[in-house]
Amino acid sequence: MSKKKIVGVTACSAGIAHTYMAAESLEKAGVAKGYDIKVETQGSIGVENKLTAQEIEAADVVILAVEINIDMTRFAGKRVLRVRAAEAIKNPEALIEKALNEAPIYGEKGTKAGVAKMGKTEEGGFFQHIMAGISYMIPMVIASGLILAIANVYAFQKDDAGRIVNWGFDTSTFMGDLMSNLFSVGQVGFLLMIPLFAGFVANSIAGKPAIAAAMIGTYIANDAEMLGAEAGGGFLAAILVAFAAGYLVKGLKKIPYPKIIQPIVPIMLLPLVSTLLISIFVLYVIGNPMASMMDFLYEGLTTLNENYAAAPVIVGIIIGAMVGFDLGGPINKTALVFGTAVFTDTVAKYGIEGANFVPQTATQAAISVAPLGIWLASILFKKKFSPTEKVSAHSAFGMGMVGVTEGAIPFAAQDPIRMIPAFVAGSAVAGGLAAGLGAKFYGGIGSPLGTFVGYIEQPIPFVTWIFSVMTGVLVTAVIIGFTKKKVE
Amino acid sequence: MVTSILDIQHITFDSSVTTKDEALQFIADFAKEKEIVKSAKAYYKGLKKREQEVTTGFKSSIAIPHCKHKTVKKPALMLVKFANPIEWESMDHQPVHMTFALAIPEGENQEHLTLLSTISRALIDETFTKSIIEAATAEELHATIQNKLLAQSD
Repeated sequence: MSKKKIVGVTACSAGIAHTYMAAESLEKAGVAKGYDIKVETQGSIGVENKLTAQEIEAADVVILAVEINIDMTRFAGKRVLRVRAAEAIKNPEALIEKALNEAPIYGEKGTKAGVAKMGKTEEGGFFQHIMAGISYMIPMVIASGLILAIANVYAFQKDDAGRIVNWGFDTSTFMGDLMSNLFSVGQVGFLLMIPLFAGFVANSIAGKPAIAAAMIGTYIANDAEMLGAEAGGGFLAAILVAFAAGYLVKGLKKIPYPKIIQPIVPIMLLPLVSTLLISIFVLYVIGNPMASMMDFLYEGLTTLNENYAAAPVIVGIIIGAMVGFDLGGPINKTALVFGTAVFTDTVAKYGIEGANFVPQTATQAAISVAPLGIWLASILFKKKFSPTEKVSAHSAFGMGMVGVTEGAIPFAAQDPIRMIPAFVAGSAVAGGLAAGLGAKFYGGIGSPLGTFVGYIEQPIPFVTWIFSVMTGVLVTAVIIGFTKKKVE
Repeated sequence: MVTSILDIQHITFDSSVTTKDEALQFIADFAKEKEIVKSAKAYYKGLKKREQEVTTGFKSSIAIPHCKHKTVKKPALMLVKFANPIEWESMDHQPVHMTFALAIPEGENQEHLTLLSTISRALIDETFTKSIIEAATAEELHATIQNKLLAQSD
């Protein structure tokens, strides 16, 4: 029988004395028993006598005499006995025998190696994938959102009296031209961020081969023109496409390919097949329902508006709710398009006196509620936001203030079940209040600032608008405060 | 290097102390007297805190109270031999007669830490610990320890 091989690690809380005593004890006892033993010490001097991967691999058993948390991953699959450092000093011989006879294999599901419990982390999980996508998307959301916000502020052209008369860029001036271009830059970011998100969600599920299908598929799902729809699918469609692409590729990976083509499977075969299938799926399966949904919603809104013209509160609530639902997705777009269409149609038919302001006023009142609600929640309920989330929440404030709803997307994608109801409720309150209290939104910016940057006719100047929007924001923030989970 | 950390002046004998708490207090005062620490009180607290984490009582009637503390001016090893048996919750449940007290300043000091680890390892050697317990004078103790540490660091 060959010599038994034992490796060990010792570490105590101070890293001064017991670490070395335990190592010395184990070494002495091991040698006395005729074993091959090597003990790594992790003390305040640093790591000494470090175990190599080969030594760990060759060892019959691993003894950890440690009182602090050490990196356990390199011992996965080995038989490991974990004890306190003092036990190795007290009775090293017995400890070595116990390890050789009883040490359980570390890293198997639910095994306990001494004090450190290690359940195998569930591979995958809906939120883990979503979070992976969000972490890659956030820098782009922030950069492009803020650029868009800056340009947006500049787009409100005022007359001599300081009233906003037009929204647009006067490209005959240098600043107007620059801002117009910056606005486009921000839009490019928003165009890219959703496919980027989907790509990394799919990457988290099935690795690099899934990125192509998810990004291309999501791009198409958000390109209204390609789909023949009025609006793209927004981030909800992105989640759908990303998971479809991810699990498709994961499935394709399981096919036993002939050895000869194996090298090209991940770089050519999987991306090609999955992109083809996903694109066709998006074009022919998702595209039509999206167009029909838009039609259906639009029809529904028209009917509602005609039947309840006398009840602006109802229309305002419904329109507001739609704006907060998918933050730039098809439902949001339907509400926006409808609001503008009703306004321009009625102005054309009946003049400004007879125009129907309700849907447009409601959409604009609701448009900033989701991002501002997130921001307010992050101020009121600090403990429920991680440092990264706080940064996102602050940039959501900037975007919300200039009416960019998309600032709330990272939060909605991360936790749709809790966030979307909060956004919908707050947006509905804002829409209902603004319309119900009789505010009339002519033009400008859809946020509390709109009352200064824009032209809104309201029963009590400034106050009605700010009150309506901020009440919605407060509702959203409070709901988030109650439902959002505490940060671990 | 070894002589710089174990000064014969840092070896003392005591016959008044009867409890662990008193022993720690004695060591702290001794450290202050030898100008190893700025404040005896702070060093005592540091030692006490370390004992609360896990006892430093060892086998063969030896304990190694120690702490890393900003009050420590220079790294040092102090040897105190107590005439009375002191309960120290040691590993073999035997009372302690001998303490190797370590004072470590804050910050990086690799050399001293290495030396302390050498001392710690040396205490595993039962012939060594036996000869320490049996040593009657400071000179005898100093020589025994010097020899052992020099042999160990080879």
